[in-house]
Amino acid sequence: MPLLSRRHVLAGASLLAAPALLTRRAHAAETCVVGTWGGDYARLLRENIDDPILKPAGIDVVQDVGDEQPRVAKTYAQRKLPHGTVDIACVGAVNGYRLTDADLVEPLTEENVPNLKHVLPDLRSPAFVPHIYSAQVIVYNPEIVKAPPQSLADLLAPEWKGKVGMVSTVAPWVLMAASLLKSGTTTDFDAAKDFMLKLNANGLRLYPETDSLAPAFKSGEIEVGVIWLARSFMWRNGGFPVKGQFPSEGAILYVSGMVLPKNAPNKAAAFGYMNALLAPSAQQGFAAHMGYLPTVDDAPLSGTVGEQLAIPEPRPKLVVPDYAVISKAMPDLNDWWLKNMQHS
Amino acid sequence: MVLMLVVPLGFLARDSLNRFDATELMIEAVTPENYLRFFTDPFYWTVLVTTLRVSVIVTATCLLVGLPMAWRLARTASRWKPVLMLLTILPLFIGSTTRTAGWMILFSRGGMLDLIGRRLFGAAPVNLMYAEPAVIVGIIAINLPFTVLTLQSVFEGIDPRLEEAAASMGAAPSRAFWRIVFPLALPGTLIAGVLCFILCMNAFATPVLLGGPRFQMMAPLLFWAFSGDSNWPFAAAIAFILMGTTLALTGLANIAIPRRYRSG
Repeated sequence: MPLLSRRHVLAGASLLAAPALLTRRAHAAETCVVGTWGGDYARLLRENIDDPILKPAGIDVVQDVGDEQPRVAKTYAQRKLPHGTVDIACVGAVNGYRLTDADLVEPLTEENVPNLKHVLPDLRSPAFVPHIYSAQVIVYNPEIVKAPPQSLADLLAPEWKGKVGMVSTVAPWVLMAASLLKSGTTTDFDAAKDFMLKLNANGLRLYPETDSLAPAFKSGEIEVGVIWLARSFMWRNGGFPVKGQFPSEGAILYVSGMVLPKNAPNKAAAFGYMNALLAPSAQQGFAAHMGYLPTVDDAPLSGTVGEQLAIPEPRPKLVVPDYAVISKAMPDLNDWWLKNMQHS
Repeated sequence: MVLMLVVPLGFLARDSLNRFDATELMIEAVTPENYLRFFTDPFYWTVLVTTLRVSVIVTATCLLVGLPMAWRLARTASRWKPVLMLLTILPLFIGSTTRTAGWMILFSRGGMLDLIGRRLFGAAPVNLMYAEPAVIVGIIAINLPFTVLTLQSVFEGIDPRLEEAAASMGAAPSRAFWRIVFPLALPGTLIAGVLCFILCMNAFATPVLLGGPRFQMMAPLLFWAFSGDSNWPFAAAIAFILMGTTLALTGLANIAIPRRYRSG
């Protein structure tokens, strides 16, 4: 008789696997899988939401870190499965609108996410929880620029020729800002394109990503940029003294948040997560470290953070994009930008 | 191979024939419109031509620089040979994005070259970034070690006694190299060139970071179609066009080598 029979091996393997299987079953109901961006955002989710709020409530959070577009792609690809792989997907508001429009995400109410009642009225959406937002502003180095541009229109002046920088990946937002300047709406793309071509002819400098703007500022290559206020906050905290000027015609808002796929494995935990997301402490934590503004009315900012992120008086016009229009127009706008702004 | 390569490529091919929709992202169809969009728009032709131009320049430079380096490395009997080998592959220890960041520090305005030019020669501020030469230099720095390593192993496989025999019959070293060693190394040189060419055709981080938004190559264009536009069918079509072009040119290169010098 062999020392180890097949039956012995199978029995031993079952015994070894049993604790893992039992533990998995015990934890399955209390796990929330969050598809998120990595880096600071993932860390701040852990520090402000996962550990202080959800862990004491008995919910283990697992982060599925990746870029936004693959996450959106996965949500579409898994639409026919009874259970998807994430309970929550972090997306920008445009993709939040797209996923809602495609009927892929769960509608949210104050019944299942009580903190929704504190969300700022302009940011409310039927199936998308706005987590953070920032305004697109004119950023400048106050050590060099003593009279900053007050409007996007000022950037066409000869004094700014070759001194203005932008990030090419935010083309739709810049076009919305240009539309706001030309016609007071965010959807007059013909007028916006005309303005952008003039700005391009005035030596507009394009950069591949936001972080490449900071060295350009520091080296004196550019003196003015159009970026999110939150980024200028981070640069200031990093020792680079930039200031943000709200354009007189109004500032476009970028909103980032979360959706709950209809086939999420653990919807109860996901609702709890979304509620925690809107808790004042979580909102204040993100503002303090990333410079994004709270999306709720019960998370006032105080101290240095409050001063740095304060909306100036008189209060500038803050404009939420028309997501129904921009989500449809975005591919054409990106295509136009690629062929006319980048390829020149 | 079927499961990991052919099946996913089959899915990708199917996706490239679908139709794009801004809400649904992809609607099932069998349409050539994504391929027609690429081939009927001069902009996309320009991107393809730029990619080919950069790839040819990079491949030619890597072969020209890599051939003597690899031959010397293969034939040296120095006790420093392991150190020289290590120095050759050392750049591969650093990720391509990190290496590109190094080039950015060197090329950008306020960077090392700019500072040297201004301080030593009183030159005007210069920005070498966001231009084709910067991309070419960046990709050469990545591809050269691969080319040298491939060629070095080819030269190692050629018996040095052939060169000694040629020398004994009065051939100068250069003549022995071009008449004996190089023809024998031609199949391996072709492989090194193809490897370098394929890497360059698919380069992503270097064109994005050193080329900037106004410089376009195929891989960043593909990513842009997928990530910026969410247009999966068009992105899939670009992927097939890129793959088809690379395979076709690789095949042509093989045909261009005289049959007697080809491997196999």
